Amino acid sequence: MRKVSGIRGTVRALGAIFWKGIKHYTRYPGGFLLYLILPFLFTLLIFGMGQFIGGGNAALNFAARTGTSNILVYEILGSAVWMTSWVVVEDVGVALRDEQMKGTLEQNFLAPVNRFTLLVGISLTDIAITTCIFFIVVGVTLAFTMPGAYLGLLQAFLLLLVGLVPLFGIGFLFAGFVIKFKEPYVFTQVVNLVFGALTGTYYPVAILPYWVRGLSGVLPQTYVIENMRQIVLANQTLVSLYGSIFILLALALAYPTIGYAIFKQLEKKASVTGELSKY
Amino acid sequence: MNSRNISPFMLAEEFKAAFMKDFRSYVRQPAWILGDLISTPLWFFFFALGVTIFAPATQTSGYQGFSYFFFGFIFIILFSTTIWGTGQSVKNEQMAGTLEQFFLAPANRLTLILGRWARIFVTDILVIGYTTVLLYLFGGGPLILYQPGMFLFSLSLFEVGSIGFGMFFAGLTMKMKSYNTLSNLVFFGYMILTGALFPVNVIPVPFRYVSLAIPFTYFIDLMRHAALLTPTILPLFVEYLAGILVAAVMLIVGFVTFNWIETDARARGTIASN
Repeated sequence: MRKVSGIRGTVRALGAIFWKGIKHYTRYPGGFLLYLILPFLFTLLIFGMGQFIGGGNAALNFAARTGTSNILVYEILGSAVWMTSWVVVEDVGVALRDEQMKGTLEQNFLAPVNRFTLLVGISLTDIAITTCIFFIVVGVTLAFTMPGAYLGLLQAFLLLLVGLVPLFGIGFLFAGFVIKFKEPYVFTQVVNLVFGALTGTYYPVAILPYWVRGLSGVLPQTYVIENMRQIVLANQTLVSLYGSIFILLALALAYPTIGYAIFKQLEKKASVTGELSKY
Repeated sequence: MNSRNISPFMLAEEFKAAFMKDFRSYVRQPAWILGDLISTPLWFFFFALGVTIFAPATQTSGYQGFSYFFFGFIFIILFSTTIWGTGQSVKNEQMAGTLEQFFLAPANRLTLILGRWARIFVTDILVIGYTTVLLYLFGGGPLILYQPGMFLFSLSLFEVGSIGFGMFFAGLTMKMKSYNTLSNLVFFGYMILTGALFPVNVIPVPFRYVSLAIPFTYFIDLMRHAALLTPTILPLFVEYLAGILVAAVMLIVGFVTFNWIETDARARGTIASN
């Protein structure tokens, strides 16, 4: 069968997959609304618990450990980045399983489009969705608490975009695992929690045990969250944080390459053993 | 079919069948069991770490503080049964394509839903037990329970109320397409507003009134009082009395609403629409 090739064909295929994803989101707006509300709800929960345990000195204790007294922005930045990884894991990681459940996987795989284009198309939808989440959640928070921090917001967004690339690589990897092991919802629940706990979503990773910090160091969100806080709350710039930006770029190269290679292997094996059509 | 004579024995048989059906479905999916065993303690650690940065550096955690939070997690797990167990029971059958068989069966659908509730309650208790042992091994300290009898009584009130709320919610899921969003919002609202993880007096005043208007706030307050002897919101006797009345009202309202929505959905033909 002839595959779609050439830049024009690939762009058209990507556009079609992108719109399909957007249509799905607009058809079920509740899911998107939840992504917008959850960062605030988690922040409120942590803040309420913190107020209870820290009493009158809660804010001082927080400042002593994090270096900032701006609790809301600190926590919201972590929450927003966590939500973006949540979106990627739920969408890219589970996409093929979802198609399988809906009975449309075969049509997708029979389409004259290679798998990489399929995965990148899904990722494009997620770029649009995570951009909206970021600007609505972080933008609104900054507009109320730090109205002059628009330059920081823009730099933080650029950082998010760089951080999304390795995240998509992790998503490809999960897509392969989901084909092999099925049960994506248990898998994504655990993975989202592990990401939240290891990347310093609500606390600096420095409070984690030494060996756990090693695991945090290989997750792109760790750098994105930490650097965003530096940019927005400590007036750092992308240039001054070049060290961890380079690490992020290296991860942006490594994860998609490794993720797609493993995905292809698992998918190839599944198509030989007939796993693709199993529930 | 609805006019059949229903004996208590038949209801017990239906309940047992519903429980076993759900139990078999659960144990057939080892990934669900594994997910429960991993994610429950992980949620606890995740929130505990988030809260640590607000605590004074010199503070020792203490068994009382640990128990306070851990009971909070138990209250959350119990409520998740209400939302995702009882509340989504109808939707789950709908998604699995078995709703028609479920509703056509010559059985009381309330017992069918209660069977599912019972299965999840039992597995929740097992997960709570496992997490308690795990946290103890990690140095979290033993779980304090000062008045076990009163705790069980308060837990019963909570469960009666939550079954009623779950039935009401199950009815709502029949009418809504974005039921998952609603489930999450209600769940997070419960976590924040009912004082499950922190006392309601931490909540700022306009929102505290909302907290005080939610029945679950009092069930939780009574359970926590029985477990840890914490002060109650209302005088103890009044709170128990109110708890009993509210639990009974919630149960009746839940059943009535569910039946009403189901009848309406049958008439409109929306019962199987996703």
